[in-house]
Amino acid sequence: MEATRSVIEARGLVREYGPVVAVDGVDLVLDEGEFLVIFGPNGAGKSSLLGMLGGALRPTHGTVSIRGTPLDFSDGDWRRRVGVLSHKGFLYAHLTAEENLRFYGRLFGLRDLDERIPERLARVGLTNRARFEVRQLSHGMRQRLALARALLHDPDLVLLDEPYTGLDPSAASVLRDVLRELRDGHRTVVMVTHNLTEGLKLATRVAIQVAGRLAWEGPTTEVDRDTFDTFYHEVVEG
Amino acid sequence: MSLYLSQIRVIVWKDLLLEFRTRERIVAMGAFAVLSGVLFNYSLDTARVAPQDVAAGLIWMTLVFGGLLGVGRTFYLEAQDGAMQGVLMSPAPKDAVYLGKTLANFTLLFPVALLVLGVFWLFFGLDLGSSPGMLVLALALGSLGFVALSTLFAAVSSGTHMGETLLPILVFPLLVPMVIYGAGATGRIMVGRPVEEVTGNIQMLAAFALITLAAGAVLFRFVVED
Amino acid sequence: MSITSITGMRRTGTGLAVVGLLGMMFVYWLAFFWVSTEASQGVSQRIFYVHVPAAWTTFFAFGLCALTSAMYLWLRDERLDRAAVAAAEGGMIFGTIMLTTGPLWGRIAWGTYWTWEPRLTLTLLLWFIFLGYFMVRSSTENPEKGKRFAAVVAIVGALDIPFIHVSVLWFRSLHPQPVVVRPEDGPALPGDMLTLLLTSLAAFTVLFLGLFMLRYALEGLRRELDVRARAAA
Repeated sequence: MEATRSVIEARGLVREYGPVVAVDGVDLVLDEGEFLVIFGPNGAGKSSLLGMLGGALRPTHGTVSIRGTPLDFSDGDWRRRVGVLSHKGFLYAHLTAEENLRFYGRLFGLRDLDERIPERLARVGLTNRARFEVRQLSHGMRQRLALARALLHDPDLVLLDEPYTGLDPSAASVLRDVLRELRDGHRTVVMVTHNLTEGLKLATRVAIQVAGRLAWEGPTTEVDRDTFDTFYHEVVEG
Repeated sequence: MSLYLSQIRVIVWKDLLLEFRTRERIVAMGAFAVLSGVLFNYSLDTARVAPQDVAAGLIWMTLVFGGLLGVGRTFYLEAQDGAMQGVLMSPAPKDAVYLGKTLANFTLLFPVALLVLGVFWLFFGLDLGSSPGMLVLALALGSLGFVALSTLFAAVSSGTHMGETLLPILVFPLLVPMVIYGAGATGRIMVGRPVEEVTGNIQMLAAFALITLAAGAVLFRFVVED
Repeated sequence: MSITSITGMRRTGTGLAVVGLLGMMFVYWLAFFWVSTEASQGVSQRIFYVHVPAAWTTFFAFGLCALTSAMYLWLRDERLDRAAVAAAEGGMIFGTIMLTTGPLWGRIAWGTYWTWEPRLTLTLLLWFIFLGYFMVRSSTENPEKGKRFAAVVAIVGALDIPFIHVSVLWFRSLHPQPVVVRPEDGPALPGDMLTLLLTSLAAFTVLFLGLFMLRYALEGLRRELDVRARAAA
């Protein structure tokens, strides 16, 4: 039997900001096609954990490996394999939707941008807004564009930081569809969210982060959706 | 290699496009250049000081102050929507990001340098001397060294509480060679000295630009990492 | 760093500092009473024996700071950063002394506070680079970032210093100023002057090393305190 090489493996991750310890020792292994959702209260260190998994933050201690290659925080090809969506858009307000995608596309070394960009814009329903500057777009549209940007280079590993925040229903619906596609297409995803309902719908694995540690982690099969709400509050308070 | 170059090119494209849309920095620097000329006119007693004698120094100082005005904000738009993080998380090497930004800043600053020269020529009836081509070359090399240093330190200062106000403190001591060789060359040319006397200065300006660019390219990654 | 080694360092540092101070007092006495008067410049030349070593020590401190900063960025060892900040403080102290006594002495001896003497000018610029070093270090939210920023400042400064030195000398060759202290140093000096200069340099260096070690130990104590406070929390 062929061993699946884990897509992402984190060992002993610690992140300190001066005296503040945001992430206090996290181990994580994700195989291909898993959809991990991390729940947790504010200040639990979820964004910092995600930042380290995506190579945006250097761990104070611990290692992260993507497909067996340890992350070297100097530049690496591995960044091609990671796509990040956060509540910051990573978008330039004065550039158009199309220009933003073209910029990132070139940075990632993509060649077929003339075909790819219209296709991706259509996927998130922004074809008519391609020539609009980002500052002229509503928040929901910006999040949709940010999603298109995150997935533009077809990353193996997709990291989402609170993607449902402030979305209007149509944007939320687009997001849901895209995420479902990712899960059905066996892309590996880590999503951090407050939204227990949406998170549980998509997850194959669930984790609850409290005060920098993963207080609970396991496959969704072990989770009782009806009582998860209560369970979550127990873990967070207990 | 070509990916590297295209990454630099797209960063230059993005910066210039943004500047074209917002026009913030170029207008600020341009206005500064012209208004400085006006203020200098009123601050010099032209009965006792011939502008021709002091113009070289004034031109370079105007370039330094105006340049800081423009370059200081080079990471501002990036900070706005966390776009800088997006760039840093891309496969683009950090030195490519630095070189792209620096090149874009040079593309904005060098025309301003020429504008300063033109404004002073106009306001003070300057004689530009034997070889204006050399003048332009000196300004180009000086501008290059200047943007190399100030782009690196703009990244530093935008990561501090003090922001752009820290920039002059960090950059001015390091600019002494640029000012000495640049103003020296400019002064000589304007007085009509032969070009051979200035080649040493030009070489030093070139060396300065080269070293600051190399240092910036290597050190930028330590400034922007988190 | 263990407490015993920090204590050891403090003891050595204090010892060196005391020796250095005594040495300096000895040098001052020699400079006033023992060494022969220089022919062309007279008594005012005697500041040379304090000025030159002070400048050299400042530059040495800066070089040390830049070197340890570069190694810190490469190896990320905290101790290298501690060494860098200790060197920077020592350098700034000696630089400040040189910059305050220099003009005062200049006024007394030759009637002008400031001439653009290359050594003094270079020290002034170096002083400001040190200032930038400390300002950048303390004005970031994340202290680790501040250390990295400061290291970058030190490294770029070190790369620029040769340019500054050469350009200032060149400028001065074009614009001769009253010669206040002849830059002649080294073997060209007659015997007793050379001896005094070297003695003075030794005294300053010993004093600097003493202060450096004290500061390094102090920083080590601070870190230790931080670590223990965090463990207790």
